[in-house]
Amino acid sequence: MKTLTRTNIHIQKTVFLLLAVLPPFAAYVLFTLYPNVLSIYYSFLDWNGIGEKKYIGLDNYIRLFQDPVVLNALKHNLILVATVIPITLIISLVLADLLVNRQYKENKFYKVLFFFPNVLSLVVIALIWSFIYDGTFGLLNSVLRVLGIGGDHNWLGSPKTALASTIPLYVWCYVGFYVVIFMNAMSAIPKTIYESATLDGITSFQRFTKITLPLMSGIIRVGMIFLMLNVIKGFEYMFIMTKGGPGGATEVISLYMFNLAFGTESLSQHFYGYASTIGMLIFVLLVLLKVVIDKVFSKDSVEF
Amino acid sequence: MTRRMGSLVWRIILLLWALSVILPIIWIVYQSFKTNQQFFADIWSLPSTFQWSNYSKAWTNLGVGQSMLNTVYYVGLSLFISLTLAVVNAYAFTKMEWKLRNIVWSLIMLSLFLPGINILVPQYTLMRALDLTNSLNGLVLLASLPLGAFELLLLGSFMRSLPKELEESAFIDGATIFQVVRKIIVPLAMPGLVTIGIFKFVALYNDFLGPFILLSDPDKYTVSVNMYAANAMMEYKSDWVTLLAGLVITVIPTIIVYMLFQRKIIEGATLGGVKG
Repeated sequence: MKTLTRTNIHIQKTVFLLLAVLPPFAAYVLFTLYPNVLSIYYSFLDWNGIGEKKYIGLDNYIRLFQDPVVLNALKHNLILVATVIPITLIISLVLADLLVNRQYKENKFYKVLFFFPNVLSLVVIALIWSFIYDGTFGLLNSVLRVLGIGGDHNWLGSPKTALASTIPLYVWCYVGFYVVIFMNAMSAIPKTIYESATLDGITSFQRFTKITLPLMSGIIRVGMIFLMLNVIKGFEYMFIMTKGGPGGATEVISLYMFNLAFGTESLSQHFYGYASTIGMLIFVLLVLLKVVIDKVFSKDSVEF
Repeated sequence: MTRRMGSLVWRIILLLWALSVILPIIWIVYQSFKTNQQFFADIWSLPSTFQWSNYSKAWTNLGVGQSMLNTVYYVGLSLFISLTLAVVNAYAFTKMEWKLRNIVWSLIMLSLFLPGINILVPQYTLMRALDLTNSLNGLVLLASLPLGAFELLLLGSFMRSLPKELEESAFIDGATIFQVVRKIIVPLAMPGLVTIGIFKFVALYNDFLGPFILLSDPDKYTVSVNMYAANAMMEYKSDWVTLLAGLVITVIPTIIVYMLFQRKIIEGATLGGVKG
């Protein structure tokens, strides 16, 4: 009898695992892991997605290093990383400090409001900002007209301002998230540290730069990595608002990859092979950047 | 006195950021009630009469209504399947002993380190080879079936904290594993499930790239793809107020869900942030 129940339980367990774990794990292997392997294979092909796959060795990689569009796109990524990340981090840190350390009665409401852009869809955000920047009926131009300074500039349509115009959009999207993250970290700093510093006659600015920031260096580093991943991976705003234009002014590396694969209706302009090669470049870039950030900042982190 | 002034400056900074978040949205709502003539003539002018017809036009002519139905189907079914799978798998990985458990677990956690951007192309060719493109069910399958590391981590840590005695006594009473999961684990895991559910709802409702790549038939568009297509269409017929009305309609579900569950959403998003 006893052995019978044991086999019974064993069968039950096997059935449960086969039903519950096997299908979603198989799907994970098929739709997540396997495509990562496939993308390596594709990067050595000349393939438009429909016709014959032609193995061309390292040709795509050679093309990659000679492609002026790649260089231009990477330059734009670099500009975005160098602006969006510090601006987002500084604004988020200041706002988080104000929300945590000053007891204004509106603070609770602000936390919820600041986070709101995070629940909006990319498309909604992109369309809202297209309207803000529009050359004729845009909000920005209308405000400028009221103030009497200009007001007829097509912000996203001009090569000079198109890329710079996307920076406030990124900052607007990301700040709320980091405010919440930094607020959590700041709340975890023991109050006694602040109290003894206040007794020593420290100003609130010194408190922020000398105590809060050093204690938060770990989470700031994590924030930098997340932001960097997002800024380098993201291309949806450019895709929706400018399609990388005008004249390549807002081309970024992942948008270039996307357009090569899915950009046009005509098959002759689909480059699945070369797009995958660029995908590999982005993959390597992201992993390298993460390693570098970890190396550079790991010494600074402070325990308390 | 200077202290008071300083405090005022900080409060104004907070207020300015708050306004920057809310003003563009109010502005969209405000414009969506005008006629196109009013909109082009002077964007500051008050709508003379509320053009509710913009909204009915957006619902039918811009395809917002159809896309909303598609989205309800896509999001609803995906949520149901993925949450069910999340519960049973979190249980299998934290409460059950089996041979390959640790290897399978680490393979799933591997996805946390993969940037994912390089798989857009192969994932599409794979879906096409399986004849799952241009189908809402294909979209549901891709969104819900593959095991997600985030759900497993969150629900798993929750389940580890549940006392073993609860299930053990149920097993002694002759309950099957399925019964234990359904009758004991699911009710106990509810708070974690709600957090994941709301977080997933927002992610699925907003999802753009997946549906954009996989759907080609406008009848099947989800709200995000539909608004993208509607905006692209405006180059040929500049009916901006209707587009803005459509935009407002697509934001309404987001605002309602956010108002109801903001605490859970913020909690889930910061936990999900681990994934980057």
